[in-house]
Amino acid sequence: MRESAENRKLLTRRRALELLGAGVVVGAGVVLAAVRTTGYALPATRRLAALADWQFVVVEQAARRIAAPDDGAEGHVPSPDEVDVAGFVDEWVSHMDRPVRRDLGRFLAYLEHVAPFGAGCVSRFTRLRAPEQDRVLRQLEGSKNDLLRAGFEGLKSLVFMGYYRSPRTWRLIGYDGPLLGRPSGGWR
Amino acid sequence: MALSADGFVRGRDMTESLVKLDVDAVVVGTGAGGSVMLRELARAGLNAVAFEEGALLASRDFNQREDDMIPRLYQDAGARTTADMAIRVLQGRGVGGSTIHNTNLCKRTPDAILDLWARKHAVAGASPDDLRPAFEAIERDLAVSEIDPAMRNANNEILRRGCEALGWRGSPLRHNRVGCVQSGFCELGCSYDAKQNALKVVLPQAVEAGARVYSDVEVVRIEHDGGRVTGVRGVARSEDGKPRAEVRARTRLVVLGASAVGSAALARKSGVPDPHGVLGRGLRLHPGGVVAGRFDEDVEGWRGIPQSYECTEHLSYEEGSDRRVWIVPAFAHPVGAAATLPGFGASHMGSMRAYRRLAVLTAMVHDETSGEIVVGADERPVLRYAMLERDRKQLAIGLAACARLLLAAGAREVTVPGVYPLRITRRADLDTVDWSSIRPHSVPLTAVHPLGTMRMGEDPSGSVVRSTGEHHQLRGLFVSDGSLFPTSLGAPPQISIYAFALHLAPHAIESARAG
Repeated sequence: MRESAENRKLLTRRRALELLGAGVVVGAGVVLAAVRTTGYALPATRRLAALADWQFVVVEQAARRIAAPDDGAEGHVPSPDEVDVAGFVDEWVSHMDRPVRRDLGRFLAYLEHVAPFGAGCVSRFTRLRAPEQDRVLRQLEGSKNDLLRAGFEGLKSLVFMGYYRSPRTWRLIGYDGPLLGRPSGGWR
Repeated sequence: MALSADGFVRGRDMTESLVKLDVDAVVVGTGAGGSVMLRELARAGLNAVAFEEGALLASRDFNQREDDMIPRLYQDAGARTTADMAIRVLQGRGVGGSTIHNTNLCKRTPDAILDLWARKHAVAGASPDDLRPAFEAIERDLAVSEIDPAMRNANNEILRRGCEALGWRGSPLRHNRVGCVQSGFCELGCSYDAKQNALKVVLPQAVEAGARVYSDVEVVRIEHDGGRVTGVRGVARSEDGKPRAEVRARTRLVVLGASAVGSAALARKSGVPDPHGVLGRGLRLHPGGVVAGRFDEDVEGWRGIPQSYECTEHLSYEEGSDRRVWIVPAFAHPVGAAATLPGFGASHMGSMRAYRRLAVLTAMVHDETSGEIVVGADERPVLRYAMLERDRKQLAIGLAACARLLLAAGAREVTVPGVYPLRITRRADLDTVDWSSIRPHSVPLTAVHPLGTMRMGEDPSGSVVRSTGEHHQLRGLFVSDGSLFPTSLGAPPQISIYAFALHLAPHAIESARAG
């Protein structure tokens, strides 16, 4: 009898500790989720197919650096925004399987909130200046962690898919585009 | 049911919520192996259907745009990788399977490989002499011939030139194409119907013989009872991937032709007997890395037939060989090229500005690494593959050989993505490269030839199916795709898969007739 009363007491104490622990975890999760997902504004006209608002902004800013134009460019070089790289990525991701989307989401969260620390920055990736963002991306590209490097390569592939899918970028590289449906003056 | 007059049924157009079939045979997958098996079953007078999870597309659908075609023609929208994300695995999806997007290479299974399978893997009845009639027949069906040297594009000519300059072994390749206009968009589907593949040749023959092909239907379970197959269950999906109808087929014969990844995953999640723990194991990928060379003159490697010449200087099929590298050209359209070239930002754009002057070669490893297909929590296949050190060394040998070939052919500089120094301009510089640093994750790797996960052989403890293609323990279950092969081929597998399907079809027919 006495033993079970002690057990009950222990259980009660353990239960209380468990509840407290769970509360801390949930609370931290709520704070983290709020930090992760607030402060990202999209144009009112933008409707997303797969990405969350914050993910879209991270992709948009990463694309500006990954597909940044070179200095010696003659004529106008379309920016990633002009060919809507982030919009393309959002649409593309909507066709991906759930596990791949989940992995991409995790990598974007890492890029936004954790990777800047590794490059000596204390702000989110999306609040850094361009040279700092380049530093973060370079660090991921050369990371000793295979998964981080793979994550960077995956994001890079998506960004370049979005950028070089556009006929407006083909002239930069001397590519004349598909034979089918080619306009009489060539692709622009 | 939306049954079209020509025997092709689109699952996306199904109007009933439950479609029930009672047939003699079900083929899962419509690539090289599935299509031939379906045709032979139908020609034998059996009531046979095939289920394909991808869509039915025609030449008019192939618009030569990477952003449109990759998600439609490749598994996981082209994003399939090994579980550790080190190797991108490009596999076909759609009626015709990988024969829609492949580059039409037709290399028979090397005799040395067939001998090895007989000696070490207890494969019976598959000697070079046994297979010859099947190879000859399928090569006739698909109009296989050697590419005319006049149709060799600049990228392939650079490889030939490199081989000649170094005195290395090289030779022209054989293809299944007729009326090719040399557009160079093979990997995005042929807009000109020049590919003599499963979609254009074999499946229409199957349908003509009475078979039906269901597209947009994913088979989710093989049903079995008392040691024999009883049917399959599937889901027909609409274009956006949402379930549209449940499909149930009762049958006494199921043929798996869904690739070394898809077939093994389906068998595993269906609880197919596996008393010796061999199902899904033995995965080979034939992984490859690329090397780019920049030339002074325009190469415009995207034009013309992508792969018409090979270098076999570092390739031997003998067991235990330390020469296991196959080298072929591998030029990509802008999206693929941009993803592969190292770096990002302004320096990357600088590299892309040399796009039209680039030649690209790939070194593919005739691998001995044994990977595994498991089923993930969401029922999707997971590819486990950790490259062995001896394969890693072969990869390094192959990439160094590609660099040597490009420089010998006159490249101004070569780049091995991920390997420093990033730009090599002299042959002597190749000796300064730390080739030992090359490993998965350090260089971008791609695989297009997964094999070996339901391998054949007479010993049930070391193989999944008999040499006839029938499962050791489950009667009425056959395999007819690259899963069968006990080792890597060291070569593109499509013609071997077609030929083995033809070679094994009589056994499946006999099984179906026996009930």
